[in-house]
Amino acid sequence: MGGPAIELRGVRHSYDAGEEVLHGIDLTIEPGEIFGFLGHNGAGKTTAMNILTTLLQPSAGHAEVCGFDVVAARQEVTGCIGYLPADVRLYGHMTAAENLRFFGKLSGVANTRRAVAETLDYLDAAELADRKLSSFSTGMRQRIGIAQAILHRPQVLFLDEPTAGLDPLGVRQLRATILRLNQDLGMTVFMNTHLLSEVAKVCTTIGVLNHGDLIYKDSIEATTRRFPDEASLEDIYVRMEATPA
Amino acid sequence: MIAIIAVQQVQSLRRQRVVLALVGTLLAMTAMAGLIGWSSHNTIVRVYDEAVRLLAADGQPAPPNPFLLKPTLSLLSNMAIYIPLIGALLALLLGHLAMADDESNGIGRLLFSRRLSRTSYVLGKLAAAAAILGVGAAVSLIASVASLWLVNRAVPTGSELGRLMAFYGLSWLYLLFFALIGMVMVLVTRRRSLALLAAMGVWLVLTFAVPQFTSGLRPTASLNPITDPASTSQPFFDVTARARPVSLSEQYKTASAHVLGTAADESGTDTARRVAPLAMSVTGLGLLTTRLVRRHDYSKGSSDD
Repeated sequence: MGGPAIELRGVRHSYDAGEEVLHGIDLTIEPGEIFGFLGHNGAGKTTAMNILTTLLQPSAGHAEVCGFDVVAARQEVTGCIGYLPADVRLYGHMTAAENLRFFGKLSGVANTRRAVAETLDYLDAAELADRKLSSFSTGMRQRIGIAQAILHRPQVLFLDEPTAGLDPLGVRQLRATILRLNQDLGMTVFMNTHLLSEVAKVCTTIGVLNHGDLIYKDSIEATTRRFPDEASLEDIYVRMEATPA
Repeated sequence: MIAIIAVQQVQSLRRQRVVLALVGTLLAMTAMAGLIGWSSHNTIVRVYDEAVRLLAADGQPAPPNPFLLKPTLSLLSNMAIYIPLIGALLALLLGHLAMADDESNGIGRLLFSRRLSRTSYVLGKLAAAAAILGVGAAVSLIASVASLWLVNRAVPTGSELGRLMAFYGLSWLYLLFFALIGMVMVLVTRRRSLALLAAMGVWLVLTFAVPQFTSGLRPTASLNPITDPASTSQPFFDVTARARPVSLSEQYKTASAHVLGTAADESGTDTARRVAPLAMSVTGLGLLTTRLVRRHDYSKGSSDD
């Protein structure tokens, strides 16, 4: 992957009702970045992620992941991404290992049993393998969700509100996992989130979406330098939302 | 990819005990049909034996055993009633669950963010439903042969076996139709509970309402297979006769009666003509399901799960 990990050029999207939710987004994310995508509810973050994960086609513009067009080269894009949607429950009546083997096969993993065992070990979740998902807490489910997303060792990992419903310990575990995935496996991470404290601790770059417009994008360091009067990322975010750049 | 989806679907439905419920119910229905057939057989033979004894005492000749005049497969004629009434409901549930789980658990988003085409997905689902219903039909076929053996103490002839296989093939097609209805309703409604209710509404209309517009002028038509009403010049009856092909449950029951040999003889072409609307409906629904899945927005989940 020579070029950017993710690139959007003039991406627009309208749903059937006609209202445009993305107004021409331009965004570039380099390989190895951990990108935090911020914005209020309904700003268009999930729509943008749905386009990048090939679940939706943009109404206009051009989007690439791993150098492949999300519409014209859907197969190649899906082969290089991992995705954990918000509030996904998987098959509750099946065990964690059965769920993971199924998704591994769909991702073209050759030896799914070994891949599942290795991935669960990597996530310190081996003890969950033979338990049915219906008996899992939110935190356990989220770990299995991460496992299904990284089973095939994708280059780009998409996480939609990954901390939703997690207790503080779960949030801390997830943060450590994201950092390990980025450092050990070199995954580029694209994360939609509301939890600004976590963004500050995990992300290398942030983008702020406001009513379908990307109003800000820069590294965490540059952001804190740019807003020296604000005490935290939360204060910076509130200021950005109030006065779009 | 089709095989991966199909195997997973079978495994998933097996875990939810849907497969067990379907096969168990079909088996119970077959046993019930055999039991009723056996009871009917015994009653007739007992009455006949009593009559023969009384006639012999009076020195009169006895008529031939009436049971010998009945076709052997008539023992299972009640199956043609149980399938539309009970089997079709289970098939609806099968189709409903096959689609609804992926919809309501957000799994569709995971599936289609992978190298899975929507066509492969829907073909996998259809293959799983067809396979589960096929297993149910095969188990019922074996149970039917066992019932016939228990009642007649004779292995069915090749011809009878062929008729039984044709009957269960027809039943499989009929059940597949309702499994597809269950799938389609999940895809056209956003609410999981509404999808099941709508599918049951279709079952009610096809099983009970539509036959009333066709041959329902006869009070027993919703339960027993009947032959085509005599042609008439009255416009009302002309309309009901023309509407008869759309009454799929009625066509199924009548075709089953001919296949099992329990109704008046008709040519194979006539029976095939009765099955044609069902076969066309299954094909049409299969294509509709594929089209709906291809256009479905899996980036959203259903509203009640």
